[in-house]
Amino acid sequence: MKLSFAILLVFVGGATGAIARELLMLFVPTLSHGFPLDILVANVIASLLIGFSTARHNRKVTNDGWHLMVTTGIAGGLSTFSSFTYATSVLMKASMTGALVAAAYVLISLVMGYVAVIIGMKIGGMREERSPHS
Amino acid sequence: MSAADVMLVGLGGGLGSVLRWWIGRLVGERYKGHFPLGTFLINISGSLVIGYLSVLFNVDWDNRHGHGMVLNALVITGVLGGYTTFSSMQLDAARLAAGQHARLAAFYLLLSVAAGLLAALAGAALAGVQD
Repeated sequence: MKLSFAILLVFVGGATGAIARELLMLFVPTLSHGFPLDILVANVIASLLIGFSTARHNRKVTNDGWHLMVTTGIAGGLSTFSSFTYATSVLMKASMTGALVAAAYVLISLVMGYVAVIIGMKIGGMREERSPHS
Repeated sequence: MSAADVMLVGLGGGLGSVLRWWIGRLVGERYKGHFPLGTFLINISGSLVIGYLSVLFNVDWDNRHGHGMVLNALVITGVLGGYTTFSSMQLDAARLAAGQHARLAAFYLLLSVAAGLLAALAGAALAGVQD
């Protein structure tokens, strides 16, 4: 793959993922006590996607370019670590309740993100039903 | 939020993702250990910068429609969101665990969160000092 093409794939995927995250931030409400549900949803969906895409690439269902665009681009752009840590730090500093919400947010994000990768890999690792036309 | 904001987020997200990919390649060429150093360095540096810039831009986390909306869309949601990654961190951890490095996987996740949190706090403190 040419370097310029690889850069283009990562850029297009990253832009798509970031816009999807922005739309999630608009439509998914922040829960009571400031629990950042929008970022959690973005991170869990991206984890599911990266596991799924990686398993399919491992099975050689998808080529290197597609894999680069989906995992490094879309999943990487959709998920965010900086907003995750910053939101946690703001909650922590706010109040005692905020600190508890922050702890719950970190724990839930880590567990759900990890489980999402495993589930994504399982689904991506399944063989497709053979289509009746082939 | 306007169509222009969506464009800014897309532009920033694309640029941040390319930067992440590029740094990941550079680190990968130099460091061959099991620890996912590239993603770790990316996430911690991104956390430091978001803490610093959020205070600098005076971003009110509950009201994203106030002052600094353009910079917020382009730099914070776009560039920093695209640059840092939660999904690659989880994939790295799952790969380590599958390769009989479960303890390193747990250590990596906990260290990432602890260091990222400290970096975000340090970034905010740095910006506060300059006011």
